[in-house]
Amino acid sequence: MTSQNWTVGRERGSRFAIRLMIWLTEAFGSPLGRALLYPITLYFLLTCRRARRASRRYLARVLSSRPGTRDVFRHFLSFASVLYERWLIACGREDEFEISLKGVGYLRALVAAKRGALLLGAHFGNFDVLRLIAERECPVPVRMLMFPVELGPFSAALRQRNSQFLRNVIAIGTPESMLAAREAIARGEFVAMLADRSPDERRMLRVPFLGGFASFPIGPMKLAAILDAPVLLCFAIRTEPGRYEVRFEPFADRLFLRPASRATDLEERVAYFAQCLEAVCRTYPFNWFNFHDIWDDGPSAPKAPVHPDRRTRGRPGAALADRELGSGELVSR
Amino acid sequence: MPTAIDHQTAEEAELARLLVETLHLDIPPESIDPVMPLFGDELGLDSIDALELALAISRAYGVEIKSDDARNKEIFASLRSLAGYIAEHRTR
Repeated sequence: MTSQNWTVGRERGSRFAIRLMIWLTEAFGSPLGRALLYPITLYFLLTCRRARRASRRYLARVLSSRPGTRDVFRHFLSFASVLYERWLIACGREDEFEISLKGVGYLRALVAAKRGALLLGAHFGNFDVLRLIAERECPVPVRMLMFPVELGPFSAALRQRNSQFLRNVIAIGTPESMLAAREAIARGEFVAMLADRSPDERRMLRVPFLGGFASFPIGPMKLAAILDAPVLLCFAIRTEPGRYEVRFEPFADRLFLRPASRATDLEERVAYFAQCLEAVCRTYPFNWFNFHDIWDDGPSAPKAPVHPDRRTRGRPGAALADRELGSGELVSR
Repeated sequence: MPTAIDHQTAEEAELARLLVETLHLDIPPESIDPVMPLFGDELGLDSIDALELALAISRAYGVEIKSDDARNKEIFASLRSLAGYIAEHRTR
Protein backbone atom coordinates (compact mmCIF):
# COMPACT_ATOMS: atom_id res chain seq x y z
CA MET A 1 0.00 0.00 0.00
CA THR A 2 2.57 2.55 1.04
CA SER A 3 5.73 1.03 -0.26
CA GLN A 4 5.37 1.84 -3.92
CA ASN A 5 8.06 4.15 -5.10
CA TRP A 6 6.93 6.90 -7.39
CA THR A 7 10.38 7.70 -8.63
CA VAL A 8 11.35 4.30 -9.95
CA GLY A 9 12.15 4.63 -13.62
CA ARG A 10 12.47 8.37 -13.41
CA GLU A 11 15.73 8.32 -11.59
CA ARG A 12 17.84 8.75 -14.69
CA GLY A 13 15.82 11.77 -15.75
CA SER A 14 16.03 13.34 -12.34
CA ARG A 15 19.76 12.62 -12.16
CA PHE A 16 20.25 14.48 -15.40
CA ALA A 17 18.10 17.31 -14.07
CA ILE A 18 20.14 17.43 -10.85
CA ARG A 19 23.40 17.60 -12.79
CA LEU A 20 22.04 20.33 -15.04
CA MET A 21 20.82 22.30 -12.05
CA ILE A 22 24.18 22.00 -10.35
CA TRP A 23 26.01 23.23 -13.40
CA LEU A 24 23.65 26.13 -14.00
CA THR A 25 23.72 27.18 -10.36
CA GLU A 26 27.48 27.14 -10.28
CA ALA A 27 27.65 29.15 -13.49
CA PHE A 28 24.80 31.61 -12.99
CA GLY A 29 23.80 31.50 -9.32
CA SER A 30 20.86 30.11 -7.40
CA PRO A 31 18.12 32.44 -8.78
CA LEU A 32 18.37 30.64 -12.14
CA GLY A 33 18.33 27.28 -10.35
CA ARG A 34 15.21 28.29 -8.48
CA ALA A 35 13.53 29.39 -11.71
CA LEU A 36 14.30 25.99 -13.24
CA LEU A 37 12.50 24.25 -10.40
CA TYR A 38 9.21 25.33 -12.02
CA PRO A 39 9.52 23.35 -15.26
CA ILE A 40 11.07 20.43 -13.35
CA THR A 41 8.16 20.40 -10.94
CA LEU A 42 5.74 20.55 -13.84
CA TYR A 43 7.44 17.52 -15.37
CA PHE A 44 7.05 15.50 -12.17
CA LEU A 45 3.50 16.73 -11.73
CA LEU A 46 2.59 15.47 -15.18
CA THR A 47 4.38 12.14 -14.91
CA CYS A 48 3.85 11.02 -11.31
CA ARG A 49 0.22 10.13 -11.14
CA ARG A 50 0.39 8.16 -7.91
CA ALA A 51 2.23 10.92 -6.05
CA ARG A 52 -0.13 13.51 -7.48
CA ARG A 53 -3.11 11.58 -6.13
CA ALA A 54 -1.51 11.03 -2.74
CA SER A 55 -0.65 14.72 -2.52
CA ARG A 56 -4.20 15.70 -3.37
CA ARG A 57 -5.60 13.33 -0.74
CA TYR A 58 -3.26 14.68 1.91
CA LEU A 59 -4.05 18.30 0.96
CA ALA A 60 -7.79 17.57 1.05
CA ARG A 61 -7.35 16.58 4.68
CA VAL A 62 -5.14 19.44 5.70
CA LEU A 63 -6.43 22.45 3.73
CA SER A 64 -9.63 24.23 4.61
CA SER A 65 -10.86 24.22 1.02
CA ARG A 66 -10.82 21.56 -1.68
CA PRO A 67 -7.32 21.34 -3.18
CA GLY A 68 -6.85 22.19 -6.84
CA THR A 69 -4.03 21.36 -9.24
CA ARG A 70 -2.41 24.62 -8.20
CA ASP A 71 -2.12 23.33 -4.61
CA VAL A 72 -0.66 20.02 -5.73
CA PHE A 73 1.84 21.94 -7.87
CA ARG A 74 2.79 24.04 -4.85
CA HIS A 75 3.31 20.88 -2.78
CA PHE A 76 5.56 19.35 -5.47
CA LEU A 77 7.44 22.64 -5.91
CA SER A 78 8.01 22.90 -2.18
CA PHE A 79 9.49 19.40 -2.21
CA ALA A 80 11.75 20.12 -5.19
CA SER A 81 12.85 23.37 -3.55
CA VAL A 82 13.81 21.62 -0.34
CA LEU A 83 15.94 19.13 -2.28
CA TYR A 84 17.56 22.04 -4.11
CA GLU A 85 18.18 23.86 -0.86
CA ARG A 86 19.70 20.75 0.71
CA TRP A 87 22.13 20.79 -2.14
CA LEU A 88 22.87 24.51 -1.64
CA ILE A 89 23.67 23.75 2.01
CA ALA A 90 25.94 20.88 1.03
CA CYS A 91 27.78 23.39 -1.17
CA GLY A 92 28.35 25.66 1.80
CA ARG A 93 25.98 28.38 0.58
CA GLU A 94 24.53 28.76 4.08
CA ASP A 95 24.71 32.54 3.86
CA GLU A 96 21.94 32.45 1.27
CA PHE A 97 19.56 31.32 4.00
CA GLU A 98 17.65 33.26 6.59
CA ILE A 99 16.94 31.04 9.57
CA SER A 100 14.99 32.05 12.65
CA LEU A 101 15.03 30.01 15.83
CA LYS A 102 12.33 29.09 18.26
CA GLY A 103 12.80 27.05 21.42
CA VAL A 104 16.55 26.73 21.00
CA GLY A 105 16.76 27.42 24.76
CA TYR A 106 15.60 23.85 25.40
CA LEU A 107 18.56 22.58 23.43
CA ARG A 108 21.02 24.88 25.16
CA ALA A 109 19.74 23.92 28.61
CA LEU A 110 20.38 20.24 27.83
CA VAL A 111 23.86 21.04 26.56
CA ALA A 112 24.59 23.06 29.71
CA ALA A 113 23.41 20.17 31.88
CA LYS A 114 25.51 17.79 29.74
CA ARG A 115 22.42 15.69 29.09
CA GLY A 116 22.18 13.79 25.87
CA ALA A 117 18.77 13.80 24.22
CA LEU A 118 16.73 12.26 21.46
CA LEU A 119 15.51 14.68 18.78
CA LEU A 120 12.42 13.55 16.90
CA GLY A 121 11.65 15.01 13.52
CA ALA A 122 9.57 14.07 10.49
CA HIS A 123 9.79 14.12 6.70
CA PHE A 124 8.91 17.71 7.13
CA GLY A 125 10.62 20.88 5.93
CA ASN A 126 14.36 20.54 5.59
CA PHE A 127 16.16 18.27 7.96
CA ASP A 128 19.56 19.52 6.83
CA VAL A 129 18.69 23.02 8.01
CA LEU A 130 17.79 21.50 11.34
CA ARG A 131 21.06 19.64 11.49
CA LEU A 132 22.92 22.82 10.56
CA ILE A 133 21.31 24.74 13.42
CA ALA A 134 21.66 21.92 15.93
CA GLU A 135 25.35 21.67 15.06
CA ARG A 136 25.79 25.43 15.26
CA GLU A 137 24.02 25.67 18.61
CA CYS A 138 25.47 22.56 20.19
CA PRO A 139 29.11 22.00 20.97
CA VAL A 140 28.30 18.28 20.98
CA PRO A 141 27.80 16.00 17.97
CA VAL A 142 24.30 15.48 16.59
CA ARG A 143 23.97 11.94 15.23
CA MET A 144 21.32 10.94 12.72
CA LEU A 145 19.68 7.54 12.90
CA MET A 146 18.68 6.66 9.35
CA PHE A 147 17.42 3.63 7.48
CA PRO A 148 19.91 2.56 4.82
CA VAL A 149 17.15 2.88 2.21
CA GLU A 150 16.97 6.58 3.01
CA LEU A 151 20.54 7.07 1.90
CA GLY A 152 19.74 7.07 -1.80
CA PRO A 153 21.47 8.57 -4.83
CA PHE A 154 20.65 12.13 -3.81
CA SER A 155 22.44 11.67 -0.48
CA ALA A 156 25.35 10.14 -2.35
CA ALA A 157 25.50 13.23 -4.58
CA LEU A 158 25.45 15.49 -1.52
CA ARG A 159 28.19 13.50 0.11
CA GLN A 160 30.27 13.66 -3.02
CA ARG A 161 29.97 17.43 -2.92
CA ASN A 162 30.68 17.64 0.80
CA SER A 163 32.40 14.76 2.55
CA GLN A 164 31.35 16.10 5.94
CA PHE A 165 27.72 15.76 4.98
CA LEU A 166 26.71 12.40 6.37
CA ARG A 167 29.57 11.86 8.74
CA ASN A 168 27.30 11.58 11.76
CA VAL A 169 24.86 9.06 10.40
CA ILE A 170 24.18 5.86 12.32
CA ALA A 171 22.60 3.32 9.96
CA ILE A 172 19.58 1.52 11.42
CA GLY A 173 19.28 -2.21 10.92
CA THR A 174 22.30 -3.83 12.53
CA PRO A 175 22.38 -5.19 16.09
CA GLU A 176 24.72 -2.42 17.13
CA SER A 177 22.91 0.63 15.64
CA MET A 178 20.93 1.40 18.76
CA LEU A 179 23.82 0.50 21.03
CA ALA A 180 25.73 3.26 19.23
CA ALA A 181 22.81 5.64 19.78
CA ARG A 182 22.74 4.84 23.48
CA GLU A 183 26.49 5.31 23.84
CA ALA A 184 26.22 8.71 22.07
CA ILE A 185 23.50 9.86 24.45
CA ALA A 186 25.49 8.62 27.44
CA ARG A 187 28.33 10.88 26.24
CA GLY A 188 25.91 13.84 26.31
CA GLU A 189 25.42 13.93 22.53
CA PHE A 190 22.19 14.30 20.58
CA VAL A 191 20.62 11.60 18.49
CA ALA A 192 18.05 12.62 15.87
CA MET A 193 15.59 10.46 13.98
CA LEU A 194 12.53 10.82 11.80
CA ALA A 195 9.50 9.43 13.57
CA ASP A 196 6.76 9.61 10.94
CA ARG A 197 7.70 6.71 8.68
CA SER A 198 9.34 3.29 8.76
CA PRO A 199 10.18 0.84 6.01
CA ASP A 200 8.78 -1.90 8.24
CA GLU A 201 5.01 -1.87 8.24
CA ARG A 202 4.84 -4.46 10.98
CA ARG A 203 6.35 -2.08 13.48
CA MET A 204 3.75 0.60 13.03
CA LEU A 205 0.61 1.52 14.90
CA ARG A 206 -2.54 3.03 13.48
CA VAL A 207 -3.39 6.24 15.27
CA PRO A 208 -5.68 9.19 14.51
CA PHE A 209 -4.08 11.59 12.06
CA LEU A 210 -5.71 14.42 10.08
CA GLY A 211 -9.23 13.10 10.42
CA GLY A 212 -8.48 9.45 9.69
CA PHE A 213 -6.21 6.66 10.85
CA ALA A 214 -2.63 6.39 9.65
CA SER A 215 0.29 4.17 10.59
CA PHE A 216 3.18 5.61 12.55
CA PRO A 217 6.33 3.79 13.64
CA ILE A 218 6.50 2.51 17.16
CA GLY A 219 10.32 2.31 17.24
CA PRO A 220 11.13 5.93 18.12
CA MET A 221 8.90 5.82 21.21
CA LYS A 222 10.29 2.46 22.30
CA LEU A 223 13.79 3.79 21.81
CA ALA A 224 13.02 6.93 23.83
CA ALA A 225 11.71 4.77 26.68
CA ILE A 226 14.74 2.48 26.65
CA LEU A 227 17.21 5.37 26.44
CA ASP A 228 15.47 7.12 29.33
CA ALA A 229 16.65 10.44 27.93
CA PRO A 230 14.80 13.72 27.31
CA VAL A 231 12.98 13.91 23.98
CA LEU A 232 12.61 17.08 21.91
CA LEU A 233 10.54 17.57 18.80
CA CYS A 234 12.25 19.47 16.05
CA PHE A 235 11.10 20.92 12.75
CA ALA A 236 12.85 23.12 10.19
CA ILE A 237 9.86 24.78 8.58
CA ARG A 238 10.33 26.32 5.17
CA THR A 239 8.34 29.54 5.22
CA GLU A 240 9.61 31.05 1.96
CA PRO A 241 12.36 30.27 -0.53
CA GLY A 242 15.59 30.24 1.47
CA ARG A 243 13.79 31.12 4.70
CA TYR A 244 13.27 28.72 7.56
CA GLU A 245 11.94 28.68 11.05
CA VAL A 246 13.66 26.07 13.17
CA ARG A 247 11.64 24.93 16.13
CA PHE A 248 12.49 22.84 19.16
CA GLU A 249 9.73 21.76 21.52
CA PRO A 250 9.83 19.49 24.54
CA PHE A 251 8.11 16.18 23.87
CA ALA A 252 8.89 14.27 27.05
CA ASP A 253 11.44 14.72 29.79
CA ARG A 254 11.41 10.99 30.29
CA LEU A 255 9.28 8.62 28.34
CA PHE A 256 8.26 6.00 30.85
CA LEU A 257 6.21 2.95 29.94
CA ARG A 258 4.46 1.34 32.89
CA PRO A 259 5.09 -2.42 32.71
CA ALA A 260 1.42 -3.17 33.35
CA SER A 261 0.18 -0.92 30.56
CA ARG A 262 3.16 -0.88 28.24
CA ALA A 263 1.19 -1.39 25.04
CA THR A 264 -1.35 1.36 25.72
CA ASP A 265 1.35 3.72 26.97
CA LEU A 266 3.29 3.18 23.75
CA GLU A 267 0.20 3.70 21.64
CA GLU A 268 -0.55 6.91 23.53
CA ARG A 269 2.93 8.29 22.81
CA VAL A 270 2.73 7.35 19.12
CA ALA A 271 -0.67 9.03 18.95
CA TYR A 272 0.70 12.10 20.69
CA PHE A 273 3.52 12.37 18.18
CA ALA A 274 0.97 12.13 15.35
CA GLN A 275 -1.04 14.93 16.96
CA CYS A 276 2.05 17.16 17.20
CA LEU A 277 2.80 16.48 13.53
CA GLU A 278 -0.81 17.16 12.61
CA ALA A 279 -0.68 20.56 14.31
CA VAL A 280 2.42 21.65 12.39
CA CYS A 281 1.00 20.20 9.12
CA ARG A 282 -2.15 22.26 9.54
CA THR A 283 -0.12 25.45 9.91
CA TYR A 284 2.43 24.62 7.20
CA PRO A 285 0.67 22.10 4.92
CA PHE A 286 3.20 22.29 2.08
CA ASN A 287 6.08 21.25 4.34
CA TRP A 288 5.14 17.63 4.93
CA PHE A 289 6.51 15.42 2.20
CA ASN A 290 4.36 12.40 2.11
CA PHE A 291 3.58 11.23 -1.38
CA HIS A 292 1.94 7.97 -0.37
CA ASP A 293 -1.68 7.52 0.55
CA ILE A 294 -1.16 6.45 4.14
CA TRP A 295 -4.72 6.67 5.38
CA ASP A 296 -6.64 3.49 5.78
CA ASP A 297 -9.90 4.32 7.44
CA GLY A 298 -12.60 2.60 5.48
CA PRO A 299 -15.44 1.24 7.58
CA SER A 300 -14.05 -2.27 7.33
CA ALA A 301 -10.52 -1.38 8.38
CA PRO A 302 -10.02 -2.72 11.88
CA LYS A 303 -7.58 -1.27 14.33
CA ALA A 304 -4.40 -3.35 14.33
CA PRO A 305 -5.62 -6.56 15.98
CA VAL A 306 -2.18 -7.62 17.14
CA HIS A 307 -0.18 -5.00 18.91
CA PRO A 308 3.16 -4.86 17.10
CA ASP A 309 4.94 -4.75 20.41
CA ARG A 310 3.71 -8.24 21.24
CA ARG A 311 5.06 -10.32 18.47
CA THR A 312 4.68 -13.89 17.51
CA ARG A 313 7.19 -15.97 15.75
CA GLY A 314 7.22 -16.93 12.10
CA ARG A 315 5.45 -13.94 10.66
CA PRO A 316 5.56 -13.36 6.95
CA GLY A 317 7.78 -10.65 5.60
CA ALA A 318 11.45 -9.95 5.63
CA ALA A 319 13.75 -8.62 8.29
CA LEU A 320 13.99 -4.92 8.92
CA ALA A 321 17.31 -4.50 7.21
CA ASP A 322 16.07 -6.15 4.05
CA ARG A 323 12.86 -4.21 3.70
CA GLU A 324 12.86 -1.65 0.95
CA LEU A 325 10.79 1.44 1.01
CA GLY A 326 12.13 2.24 -2.40
CA SER A 327 15.48 3.20 -3.71
CA GLY A 328 14.70 6.81 -4.45
CA GLU A 329 15.86 9.59 -2.23
CA LEU A 330 12.92 11.61 -3.48
CA VAL A 331 10.58 9.40 -1.48
CA SER A 332 12.55 9.28 1.68
CA ARG A 333 13.03 12.99 2.26
CA MET B 1 5.94 -25.68 13.57
CA PRO B 2 9.07 -27.64 12.71
CA THR B 3 9.86 -30.14 15.46
CA ALA B 4 13.52 -30.77 14.79
CA ILE B 5 15.10 -27.96 16.78
CA ASP B 6 18.41 -28.22 18.56
CA HIS B 7 18.27 -28.96 22.27
CA GLN B 8 18.79 -25.89 24.48
CA THR B 9 21.47 -26.13 27.16
CA ALA B 10 20.60 -24.89 30.67
CA GLU B 11 22.36 -21.58 29.98
CA GLU B 12 20.58 -21.17 26.68
CA ALA B 13 17.23 -21.92 28.27
CA GLU B 14 17.86 -19.26 30.90
CA LEU B 15 18.86 -16.73 28.24
CA ALA B 16 15.81 -17.66 26.14
CA ARG B 17 13.57 -16.84 29.11
CA LEU B 18 15.32 -13.49 29.56
CA LEU B 19 14.94 -12.77 25.83
CA VAL B 20 11.22 -13.59 25.70
CA GLU B 21 10.51 -11.65 28.87
CA THR B 22 12.58 -8.58 27.90
CA LEU B 23 11.20 -8.32 24.38
CA HIS B 24 7.61 -9.23 25.27
CA LEU B 25 7.51 -12.03 22.73
CA ASP B 26 4.42 -14.20 22.57
CA ILE B 27 6.30 -17.48 22.24
CA PRO B 28 7.43 -20.14 24.70
CA PRO B 29 11.17 -19.67 25.45
CA GLU B 30 11.84 -23.36 24.83
CA SER B 31 10.62 -23.01 21.25
CA ILE B 32 13.61 -20.86 20.29
CA ASP B 33 16.00 -22.93 18.25
CA PRO B 34 19.45 -22.11 19.68
CA VAL B 35 21.04 -22.02 16.23
CA MET B 36 18.29 -20.01 14.53
CA PRO B 37 19.24 -16.45 13.54
CA LEU B 38 17.88 -13.94 16.06
CA PHE B 39 17.74 -11.14 13.51
CA GLY B 40 15.91 -12.12 10.36
CA ASP B 41 12.69 -13.68 9.24
CA GLU B 42 12.17 -16.29 11.88
CA LEU B 43 12.34 -14.37 15.15
CA GLY B 44 12.56 -11.01 13.44
CA LEU B 45 14.36 -8.96 16.06
CA ASP B 46 15.44 -5.43 15.16
CA SER B 47 18.08 -2.93 16.33
CA ILE B 48 15.91 -1.66 19.17
CA ASP B 49 15.40 -5.23 20.39
CA ALA B 50 19.17 -5.67 20.30
CA LEU B 51 19.60 -2.64 22.55
CA GLU B 52 16.94 -3.84 25.00
CA LEU B 53 18.47 -7.28 25.05
CA ALA B 54 21.98 -5.89 25.56
CA LEU B 55 20.77 -3.84 28.54
CA ALA B 56 18.98 -6.83 30.07
CA ILE B 57 22.10 -8.96 29.61
CA SER B 58 24.22 -6.30 31.26
CA ARG B 59 21.86 -6.23 34.26
CA ALA B 60 21.56 -9.99 34.56
CA TYR B 61 25.11 -11.09 33.84
CA GLY B 62 27.26 -7.97 34.11
CA VAL B 63 28.32 -8.36 30.48
CA GLU B 64 28.63 -5.13 28.51
CA ILE B 65 28.14 -5.33 24.76
CA LYS B 66 29.62 -2.30 23.01
CA SER B 67 28.60 -0.95 19.62
CA ASP B 68 32.18 -0.93 18.32
CA ASP B 69 32.85 -4.60 19.04
CA ALA B 70 33.77 -6.10 15.68
CA ARG B 71 32.24 -9.42 16.74
CA ASN B 72 28.74 -8.03 17.29
CA LYS B 73 27.35 -9.81 14.26
CA GLU B 74 28.66 -13.13 15.56
CA ILE B 75 27.59 -12.43 19.14
CA PHE B 76 24.02 -11.63 18.14
CA ALA B 77 23.86 -14.34 15.47
CA SER B 78 21.90 -16.87 17.54
CA LEU B 79 20.86 -17.82 21.04
CA ARG B 80 23.83 -20.19 21.16
CA SER B 81 26.41 -17.58 20.15
CA LEU B 82 24.97 -15.03 22.58
CA ALA B 83 24.95 -17.57 25.43
CA GLY B 84 28.53 -18.49 24.56
CA TYR B 85 29.64 -14.87 24.68
CA ILE B 86 27.93 -14.40 28.05
CA ALA B 87 29.48 -17.55 29.51
CA GLU B 88 32.89 -16.23 28.50
CA HIS B 89 32.44 -12.74 29.97
CA ARG B 90 29.94 -12.97 32.80
CA THR B 91 30.83 -11.37 36.10
CA ARG B 92 27.74 -12.59 37.94
